[in-house]
This record gives sequence, C-alpha cells and structure tokens, in this order.
Amino acid sequence: MPLKLLLQLSWRNLWRHRRRNGIMVLAIALAVTGVMLMNTLMRGMAAEMREAVIDNLTGHIKVIHPGYMADPGIGRGFEPEQGWERALADVPVAGWAQRVRVPAVIMSERETRGVQLVGVDPAQETISFLGSLSVDGEALSGAEDRRIVVGATLAEQLETSVGRRLVIMTQGADGLNREAGYRIAGTYDADSNALEKVFVFTGAQTVARLLESPAVTEVSLRLESGDDIPLALAELGAVFEDLDVKAWQDLEPQVASMVLVADFGLYIMYFVIMGALVFGLVNALVTAVMERVRELGMLRALGMRPRSVVAQVVVESTLVMTAGVVVGLALAVVCYLPFSGGIDLSAFSETMQMMGVRNIFTPRLEVADMVIVFVLSLVLGVLASLYPARRAVKVTPLDAMRR
Amino acid sequence: MRSARMASFAIAGVSLALVSGPLFAEDEIAVASVDATAVQLLQGALELTRGASSYTRLAMKIHRPDWERNMELEAWTQGQEDALIRFTAPAKDAGNATLKLADSMWTFVPQLKREARLPSSMMSQSWASSDFSYNDLSRSDNYLRYYEVQIVDRNQEDGHTVFSLQMTPYDDAPVVWGRETMVLRDDYVMLSQTFHDQDLIALKQMETRNIGPLGGREIPLVMRMSDLAEPDHWTEIRYLEADFDANVPASKFTRFALRGER
Repeated sequence: MPLKLLLQLSWRNLWRHRRRNGIMVLAIALAVTGVMLMNTLMRGMAAEMREAVIDNLTGHIKVIHPGYMADPGIGRGFEPEQGWERALADVPVAGWAQRVRVPAVIMSERETRGVQLVGVDPAQETISFLGSLSVDGEALSGAEDRRIVVGATLAEQLETSVGRRLVIMTQGADGLNREAGYRIAGTYDADSNALEKVFVFTGAQTVARLLESPAVTEVSLRLESGDDIPLALAELGAVFEDLDVKAWQDLEPQVASMVLVADFGLYIMYFVIMGALVFGLVNALVTAVMERVRELGMLRALGMRPRSVVAQVVVESTLVMTAGVVVGLALAVVCYLPFSGGIDLSAFSETMQMMGVRNIFTPRLEVADMVIVFVLSLVLGVLASLYPARRAVKVTPLDAMRR
Repeated sequence: MRSARMASFAIAGVSLALVSGPLFAEDEIAVASVDATAVQLLQGALELTRGASSYTRLAMKIHRPDWERNMELEAWTQGQEDALIRFTAPAKDAGNATLKLADSMWTFVPQLKREARLPSSMMSQSWASSDFSYNDLSRSDNYLRYYEVQIVDRNQEDGHTVFSLQMTPYDDAPVVWGRETMVLRDDYVMLSQTFHDQDLIALKQMETRNIGPLGGREIPLVMRMSDLAEPDHWTEIRYLEADFDANVPASKFTRFALRGER
C-alpha cells in the first residue's frame, strides 16, 4: 500500500474526531512546553553554578599539592618553575594565577572569624571573580600591596570598616603561629554572601612575608574553552609531576554532579510527564480503533494487508504526537524569548544571595534539548501505537460483520 | 561572644603570668621610639608579681547581670615561658587546667580525661568563660615590640609618682586595639589599664581595687576586668596566697602534670 494513501487515510481519520484529537494535541503541546521551560531553568541554574565555581578561584584547572585538600596550609605549598606555562603552547588559555591560600583567623576589636587568607597578584586575577569585583574603597594595587580587601558581609560581622586595622593569625610551614595587623584597603561586594565571608585578599608578597615562605599553594588556569580541559590536564600533568593537576569537576564534585543532574533532568521530567500522557494517547487510539471495527473489517475484506492496518495506526499516533510536539516547542520558544536576556531577581536578592545565585538569572533554551525532545516524542508516539495497532490487526472481516 | 584580645600585661600583673617570650624580643624595631622610663615601668610591673618561679592561689569571680560565679585556682610559673593553672573550686570545675609551654597552650578537662592543644583560632576566645581571653594569658612581650609607648602624664599621689602611659600599636602590629592606656605607680603597681577600639572608644578596663602586701611585696591584691560595652559584665581576681620565690619542680610544667597526675 503506498505511503501516500496511508497518510491520506490516517489524516482523514484524525479529522473525523477533531475535538478528541485536538485536545490530545493540546495536552501534548502543553506538556512539552512545560518540560522545555523547566529545562531552560535547570540549564540556566547549572550553567550559573558552573560559571560561579570556575570564577570562585577554582578556574577550569587547578594545580595543588596532593595533600592540600586534606590539610590546607603553607606546609602543602610548592614553587612552580619559571616558564611552566610554555607547556601549554597548543591549548588556548584565557589566563592563569598563582596564589597562596591558607586558613586564617581574622580579628577586630570586637569579633573573631575564621577565613581563607588569599595572597594574589591582582594583575593575574582577571580569570576570577576578583577581576570584576566592585570594591568599596580601594582595590589591591599589586602583589606588593600590604593592605587587605575583605567582603562587605565580613566587615559588617567584624564591626569594622575601610581604613581600620584587622589582625590576621595563621600558621607558618613550621606549624607555629604567624600574626600581623593589616589595614583594610576596601570591602568587596560579591554575588554571594558566603564568598564575602570566606575570602580575605591581600598581595601575594605580603602573605609570603607573613608566612616566611615563597611558596604558593595553587596555580589556577582558565581556558578559552572548557572542552580543552582533558588536553590541558595531560600537558600540565607532565610539567607538575609531583603535584595534583585537577579539573574543576574533581575539585568541586558537588557542583559537577549538580550539572550532571541538570543533564539528566530533561529526561527525568520528560518521562514523568509524557509517560502519563502516553496512556491518554493509547486510550484515544484504542477508542478510535474500536469505533472503526466495521470499517477495518471491510478494508481487510477488500484485501488490505494486516501490515498496512498497523502502519495506519502508527501513522495516526505519530501525526498526533508530532503536531503536539511542534506546537509545544513553538510555544516554549515564544515563552522563553522575553526572558532570554535574563530575569532580574534583585527584588529577592537577599534570599538569592544566600543560595549563591546571582541577581540576574539567565535561563537557557538549547537547540540540542529541543531535538532530543522531538526525537523522543516520535519514538514514544510509535511505542504508544503498538497496542492499539495490535487490537486493530486482530479485527477479522468475520468479527466485523457480526457486530 | 565578645572575644577581644587584651594585652596580657593585665594578667601578668596578677601573676597568672603565663608569660611568653623574652621581654625584649630580638627584633627591637620599636625600642628606639619608646620612652626609656616607660619601658622600665612596664618591665618592672611585669616582674613585680613573678619571680624566677612562683606559686599563687587566687579567687576569681565572674559577674554577669543575671548570675555570678566564684572560682578558685592555683598557678605556678617558671621563668618567662612556662605556666600551669589549675582550678580547685567549685567542685564542678576542679581539675580543669591550662598549661603553657613556650608558644603552645594545652587545656585539660578531667571529665573528658582528655588534654587538647589550643588551636590558634581559640586563642582569642574567653578563658573559663571569664572576661579574659587565652591570649591574655599567653603574652607579655607585646608592649615593647608592637607599641609606641609614651608617658603622657605624671602625678603625685599618696607619696608615689603615678604615671599615665599611652600605648599606640604600630600599623602592622598584631593588636586589634586602637590604643591602650595604663596608669602605673613608681613602685610598679598597676592601677588601671584601658583598651580602646580604633575610634578610641574604651571597650575594656582593668582596675586595681585593692593594693596591699603579699608574698613580701606590695602588689595589686584585687583586680577587676570590666567589659565596658556590656554593662555589669566583669571578672575579678583576688590574691589569696603568693610565693614569688617558690621552689617549683620542673615536672610541674609538663603535660603529665597538666592531667593532675603526680
């Protein structure tokens, strides 16, 4: 039986029950729209978290001492050789930074807090959130700067302000305490309060002087593209033989798994919502088949092959599904476009900052996801038609005439 | 908790004197700008309640608006580095001890049968929930290394010359205060010490409330540390017994002794 005739038959059958099939198409369309919009939010959130983590002094790749994660401190420092970055000649690198980062205690006249003291060279920090930070007061002028920059939230907790002195206490490589007073050059306002409470910045040379050690505790790299991570890992591994060269996924496994969950989230949402809908579709198709028992019997009596009967039901199901998905995807795009530039959440910024989400939230609609949804729907459409098709094939001309 | 760092001079004056470091540290950056008389006064005050080795018995009263607590403790010191403090009353706290050896401090709680080295993050916490911090117990050489010391006033009182000292920490000194002021008598008895924040608002004050002879010396017998930011918060320390030339065995300053075992 030619495909064209098959399509014609199916098409006409569908139009015989406009309301029933229309409702089905609409239900599928709304489900697809819902899934897609939810997915844009999840994608946006995952991308945000990934970016935030890469920004937050992690970078794409970090070189650390193997024992640093378990026991952070200058005792787990190292001195990178001059010119190590030449090993990465064939990987496009956005930038790198060498830092000294040690746990420390910071004290004002009234309060004491535990923080991470980070010695940086501001010129290298274009790769992290430090580069684009809004600082109240003055930013660090260089690796030699003897002042500190603290988070606005921390300054508030310590009941101190720009120009005041704070005392920082930490441990040297020999395990003995080192302490000194530092003036506050400025306070910074980061996207999340958690960051502001944790990181205290000063010049790398200043920390080196306090700790009496020229070592750094980390080298952080940002690549032009996250796709180059495996290549860069291999090349850096050869340079820093005794050290750990780690991708951000290994350094921040929680965030990496959240990003992974977002990847699977699409499938989960899709199957939960569409799985329920498919039964509706099966029901509609079975009903259509049962209504047409006499007609199918006649077609069989006229010589229509069972194969063609099956094909007809499958085509019907697929047509309904395709129509629903196309409308749904179109609707999703229409709903998404006004928000594609980002949603301004500053009205709720206090709460959002606690969750580590930035003020502007950008949902992401990805073409790849749309293709996945489309293909999955076609497969689901075919699967949904199998049972109704079997029912249709079971109709013999004899059965049909008895009705 | 108001965890403020006080110069230990306060306590050194009471001879809890868990003293640290040589009085004149090797890096005497500061000394040039320090008034020689002022240095002598500070040094004298430190030495007043501390011999080569000493034994003292003290009563401590922690006062809060809603409650008050009385404790008794014994303290042994040896040289300028080592000290052991043990609470003897009330029964609940008896046996709690603090040991200082050079730069390290340990605490011992008998109920837990465990000694613990104090991490640096704890050093500014309150000691035995009093108005003193661990830092107060562990330092004494701060003055000369980290402060510019000036005598701002002299008076005659009761046959003594009374000096008012003003101590301003250097910019990179590990001192949170904006300024400390101290009133000292020419016989090295400290009358008061006040800690100001960087706006020069007074936050804490140590006052001598009674002076008298004990252990063969004229010393501040009762001293009170008040939290000026929290009205009616103070801790008072009173000497019950003192021997500034006690023969304390070196075995007193070990972690074994900290556990109270003999």
